[in-house]
Amino acid sequence: MKISRYLMLAASGALGASANPSFAADAPLVIAGARVVTVAGAVLENASIIIQNGRIASLGSGLTAPAGARIIDGRGKTVYPGLFDGLTYLGLAEVTQGAPGTVDMNETGDVNPHAKTWVALHPDSELLPVARAFGITTALSAPGSAMGGQSLIAGQSAVIRTVGDTPKALTVKAPVAMHMRYPTGAPVIDFSQGPPNIEPKTFEQRIQERTKNQEKELLRLKGLLEEARAYGEGMAAGTALKVDLPMEALALAATGEIPVVMRASAEADIKGAIKFAAENKLKLIVAGGAEAWRCTAELKKGDVAVLMSVDQLPTREGDPYDAAYANAATLHKAGVRFAIVTDDASNSRNLPFEAAMAYAFGLPGEAAIRSITLSPAEILGVATTLGSIEVGKTATLIITNGDILDHRTSITNVIIDGQETSLDNKHQRLYERYKARP
Amino acid sequence: MNNRFRNAHVLFAACLIVIFFGLRGVAEDAITAITNAKIMTVGPAGTIEKGTILIQGGKIAAVGASVSVPAGAVIIDAAGRVVTPGLIDAHSHTAMEDGVNECTNIVTAEVRVRDALDPRDISIYRQLAGGVTAANVLHGSCNSIGGQNATIKMRWGAGSGDALIFQGAPPGIKFALGENPKRSSFGGGSPRRYPATRMGVEVSIRNAFLEARAYKKTWDEYEASAKIAASAPKKGGKASAPAPLKVAPRKDLQMEALKEILEGKRLVHAHAYRADEILMLIDVANEMGFKVATFQHVLEGYKVATEIARHGAGASMFSDWWGYKMEVYDAIPYNAAIMASHGVVVSLNSDSDELARRLYWEAAKTVRYGGVSEDEAFKMVTLNPAKQLRIDKWAGSIEAGKDADLAIFKSHPFAPDTRVEMTLVDGKVLFDRARDLAARTGVAATLGGGQ
Repeated sequence: MKISRYLMLAASGALGASANPSFAADAPLVIAGARVVTVAGAVLENASIIIQNGRIASLGSGLTAPAGARIIDGRGKTVYPGLFDGLTYLGLAEVTQGAPGTVDMNETGDVNPHAKTWVALHPDSELLPVARAFGITTALSAPGSAMGGQSLIAGQSAVIRTVGDTPKALTVKAPVAMHMRYPTGAPVIDFSQGPPNIEPKTFEQRIQERTKNQEKELLRLKGLLEEARAYGEGMAAGTALKVDLPMEALALAATGEIPVVMRASAEADIKGAIKFAAENKLKLIVAGGAEAWRCTAELKKGDVAVLMSVDQLPTREGDPYDAAYANAATLHKAGVRFAIVTDDASNSRNLPFEAAMAYAFGLPGEAAIRSITLSPAEILGVATTLGSIEVGKTATLIITNGDILDHRTSITNVIIDGQETSLDNKHQRLYERYKARP
Repeated sequence: MNNRFRNAHVLFAACLIVIFFGLRGVAEDAITAITNAKIMTVGPAGTIEKGTILIQGGKIAAVGASVSVPAGAVIIDAAGRVVTPGLIDAHSHTAMEDGVNECTNIVTAEVRVRDALDPRDISIYRQLAGGVTAANVLHGSCNSIGGQNATIKMRWGAGSGDALIFQGAPPGIKFALGENPKRSSFGGGSPRRYPATRMGVEVSIRNAFLEARAYKKTWDEYEASAKIAASAPKKGGKASAPAPLKVAPRKDLQMEALKEILEGKRLVHAHAYRADEILMLIDVANEMGFKVATFQHVLEGYKVATEIARHGAGASMFSDWWGYKMEVYDAIPYNAAIMASHGVVVSLNSDSDELARRLYWEAAKTVRYGGVSEDEAFKMVTLNPAKQLRIDKWAGSIEAGKDADLAIFKSHPFAPDTRVEMTLVDGKVLFDRARDLAARTGVAATLGGGQ
């Protein structure tokens, strides 16, 4: 049936209640007559999307629904690519404080290139359905979170989908990147060991110590990377090597096979990371990037992308109050690649609201939506299949009743790999149970 | 960061503010008129599509669609903008230097937040930039019974901590239940002290109030005897009191604060998460004869909304945070909606100098989560926190006679493109985005891609 005819019948009520009988799990899916924010190109009004075999088979108007297709009436609705949170610890932690048994994103020790997040994903984490129900279909599950990631080299991340019964089913791509922190030379304080015992020192003494420590740490990192590169070259040449798991893993980053995500927020650290990456031939992505707006020239020149969160305080007391809010707009205008991320897990569903704040402070609306869909897909190397609504791409998308940047908007359908997923989640269940308790 | 460097920045920022705002002071009787504005009064007048607000002597003199502007008034043309009451944050630790938690005792009812207030804290200015004009600055949650709060206005430029105090606001105090007073989530290095269980938390509060009741009784008896002594007829210069005047008991600052709670003069703001501990405190309060003014955080409040409503307590919460510790694993974003539908006065708070700057969007979330109406949602960051802090006589809505604490938004406060353009406290413009932008130099001027 022509989709336009279906919509006419649906509007006149002629289809009745039996419009959607039961369908086979692999039946084609049609979203009919919706506003489609493709992100790749123009916004399409009154357009339809035909989904077959998990992919977007066709897109536009005047389409005919395939035989046996299930049709979702999209009139008055908006379709977006699934939201992509480009830096999280989803699947790796359940309760971050006071329940260390549920926390798996920060390995002990300083050099953990061989730690892989995709082997530790917890498919039954309550955080996954919560994120999914509010539009997060895709996420980078990364080691070394902002809250307590102490390792110089934290491990390797994976791009995950937020539905799946096993770690493998959750995983879209792995490895994606090697995660490090840019060594600042500042003493690493582990608050889990209680309040730090800080010796009284002068400011000059502290600066001197910091600089010395930083030089030492950078030299150490450089040495590790050189060793790993040699190890990688040896492996490639077929030399018989004594198995060294850290070196084997780090070789991926040292030879440029996967990018390095380096945490750096202060101007000097971002610029230092760019310089270090250039000297050591690393493909750098900066995470954090609070002061990226002070480094646009260097980021642009080095073609370094930034994974940034928006809802932050300014880093310096004298900075403009909206420094973090306007950070994205500054990078956008300068042509620096970036994605907006939550750098969180339980709050991952607030991703579109961080993008909204960037929008309110100067980032164009299309760029704001791109920063939580196509941009992270590009930066993390999965844009051939994810991040936008285009024929041939994976059908991972969401349907809403309004502007995704608006807090009042609801997500009505979440489709991952062409399958409509359940919106059931712990929060909804508790709501249903208690809302009418007398 | 280097302290000297930081201080230089603060000083610089403070100078800018003085230059741009302080010197614009107008005579007390001068009239300011905000004209052509959409006005969300949050009061009986509802939303006025195009109206005028007259401000005189720091108060709202008039508000309406057909208010005439007297000659000589300072005009703020708010065409295309939306004026709302200043936002009120019912849970804040702002402008407290590093004095949030006096952690060393189970009961620290004697310590006062107002002694640690820092009027030069840049957070005050940043929160004005988010439309916040008043806050309930609370002691931390280290103890079952913590220190005394300070209800403040964001009077950026004030010369002292005391000048921030919201005149007329009744005093309050912080209580805390659950994991924080247990100190259970703070790692191996934290020294253990009583209480270490929810059982101990209950005991510590009951104990304190048993002591406070005895203290109150001693004082009540003394004051009664003093009254009789004073009113007794005198013969030959000697008092002939039927009962001898008792010796004045010794003042105890900790017990004084608890006595004020028993007398209904001090508001209890009780940090609580789990439903069981909320019910526990209601029981203890009923037994000891006091009321809980607000439950703070109260993320499982939705499970016992009826009991909270019956007690008459307000509820002040995060919109949607959850999962960061065990006692918030059952927190749900529908909490505000459920509590409101059970008749509880609900406010949304920040507990964070960052989140405080976007409370208007926290309110918008309750429309998504549980279908709260937009009017009710916006009350949760204006009139409702004013009611909870008992300052609604002066704040929380735009009505003639109330304080001129106002936020001017670019568009509807829930819209995705909105931001605060101007904020007034006591009728004075303390934040003005246009002036803030104009004052930026150097790299700061390039922020946002240049303005």
